[in-house]
Amino acid sequence: MKIRWNPIVKKDLQVTARSMRISWGLFAYEAALALAFLLVLAIIQEEADSWYSDNFYSYLVVLFPVLAVVQVCIVTLIVPIITASAISGEKERQTFDLMLTTCMTPFSIVFGKVMSAVINILLFVAASTPVMALSFVVGGMRWSYLFYFLLAILLQAVFSGSIGIFASSLCRKSIVAVLLSFSIYGGFYVLTALPPLISMIFGMGRNMGESALFLLLNPVVFFEEFFMLLMTGETMFNGTISKGDAGIVTYMLSHYNLWIYVSAGCMLLVSFLFMLMAAWKVNPLHSGTGVRKKK
Amino acid sequence: MLYINDLTKKYGSYTAVNHLTLHIPEGDLFGFVGPNGAGKTTTIRIVCGLMRANAGSVQIGNISAAVGSRKMKRLIGYVPDFFGVYDNLKVKEYMDMYGSMYGMSSRDIAKLSDDLLELVNLSDKKEVYVDTLSRGMKQRLCVARALLHNPRLLILDEPSSGLDPRARVEMKELLKNLHAMGKTIVISSHILSELSEMCTSIGIMNRGQLVTAGRIEDIMKKISGGRRIHLRVLSDMEPALRLLREQAQVRVESVRENEVIILFDGEETRLAGLLGMLLQNQVLVTDFHREEGSLESLFMQLTGGVAE
Ligand SMILES: Nc1ncnc2c1ncn2[C@@H]1O[C@H](COP(=O)(O)OP(=O)(O)O)[C@@H](O)[C@H]1O
Ligand SMILES: [Mg+2]
Repeated sequence: MKIRWNPIVKKDLQVTARSMRISWGLFAYEAALALAFLLVLAIIQEEADSWYSDNFYSYLVVLFPVLAVVQVCIVTLIVPIITASAISGEKERQTFDLMLTTCMTPFSIVFGKVMSAVINILLFVAASTPVMALSFVVGGMRWSYLFYFLLAILLQAVFSGSIGIFASSLCRKSIVAVLLSFSIYGGFYVLTALPPLISMIFGMGRNMGESALFLLLNPVVFFEEFFMLLMTGETMFNGTISKGDAGIVTYMLSHYNLWIYVSAGCMLLVSFLFMLMAAWKVNPLHSGTGVRKKK
Repeated sequence: MLYINDLTKKYGSYTAVNHLTLHIPEGDLFGFVGPNGAGKTTTIRIVCGLMRANAGSVQIGNISAAVGSRKMKRLIGYVPDFFGVYDNLKVKEYMDMYGSMYGMSSRDIAKLSDDLLELVNLSDKKEVYVDTLSRGMKQRLCVARALLHNPRLLILDEPSSGLDPRARVEMKELLKNLHAMGKTIVISSHILSELSEMCTSIGIMNRGQLVTAGRIEDIMKKISGGRRIHLRVLSDMEPALRLLREQAQVRVESVRENEVIILFDGEETRLAGLLGMLLQNQVLVTDFHREEGSLESLFMQLTGGVAE
């Protein structure tokens, strides 16, 4: 079977590969990562008095999660920027209408845009492997962790990327779209934490029900659990939630190590929904007014 | 081929296209004329599925599919009134991209795009970046791109605006060739004379309404300028003028040194008779022709009529 590239992905990769932006982007990305690496090393050294104490090596374990989190932050910062300007960029070049007159469905355009941003960023992540490998070697990690890490960062890239494309479909100006996508993405950090917090504060320690399920969509909780599982092999909910504390679904998820998978699934589903909404929004046959940019 | 039925499009309270009904037969080279703001682009964008109409329908051939459906899009090649090109993309890759957007295999694309680039005279530019091409070349590339999926209907929105005269001529030749190859073509323009010599039929639009449409000869006959005859004589003007004034169907409009412009009301045979009469009376006629380019005046006449 022959794999059919989404034409937009192919084109976008061709175009960006030739622009200077990608070289500078790679440089900045690696530089930021190397800087973080050195910084963490310096801090560890401060903490552990001397290079020769046994203490020092046990501290190095944190190198991997810290660098990973730095990467996640950069990725979730860059991908929405790329996708948020994706549709307005095509509109500015007036190529968007041309795409719409072809057999590309609005969804495949939107999907292609998210994918090309994700693939672009994966290039950065892949280029960072040597630095990550160093943190593995000195931190004593397993190689398979790198693979899990790639999957996790891919998921976040898709998640934040589809939020970006959704914002892009709503706003005409790229900059507004970027701001909007950060607000929506930030909303997932903050708003998903509200229901469990509220039920904890006002519930006075009584059963908090299923309110914690909102946290399935919280990237912080996702990565906390992710690193918890990687570093200790145990879920962070380990034993903290008993049957009486929460609803049955929350209990099951926390008890049987299912949280991370369900969380990933939910994020993928929400990404898909955002892409669907973006596709609906950019479909000219759906917007009644047919607003067109005036030349 | 293309049936537009009672199409209406409103922007807010402004009606850009007002109950437009139009039929363009297969194999026609149709000129879609109207002043700026007449609603040509709006109509074309609706046909191409880039906009939704408030009312009315569009049908192509005997295929019944919704506007904007994949089936419909395959039938249309659209050359918009802008270029739509990317930096950092080569001509070949540009064609490649649009081909794959129509779901064509890369082998088909390679073959067809070679042929098409040959046709639009860009075969030596395959490896050139699209944004470095001249306007005329970009425009021809857009035509090649629009033909890539072998559409039955090619729609061009103001294809020669912004082109220099040479590029215009090349464009015109290209369109004539395509027409000869059997494609149904629709060209919009706000300049009537540009279309009159290559189109087989035209439709004139003003303020969202179709003023008139039909075969170009028929339209020509309606033109007041069609009655206007330019006559040039070598000999003395007086006898000629005297003879002309005697004719009931003739009204002398203006007289210059040895040229006279008359308005003639009558059939073609009578007109031939008029020339014969002049010659019989020893008037040395060096030129006798119907005024051309006066499609413009028809245009003014027709569109002005709607305005009132
Ligand atoms: N997106 C839009 N919003 C509001 N009015 C528009 C829009 N596009 C076009 N119009 C108006 O509709 C009318 C017809 O425009 P258009 O179809 O572009 O005319 P043409 O192509 O014949 O010059 C014009 O008066 C124009 O100002
Ligand atoms: Mg126009």
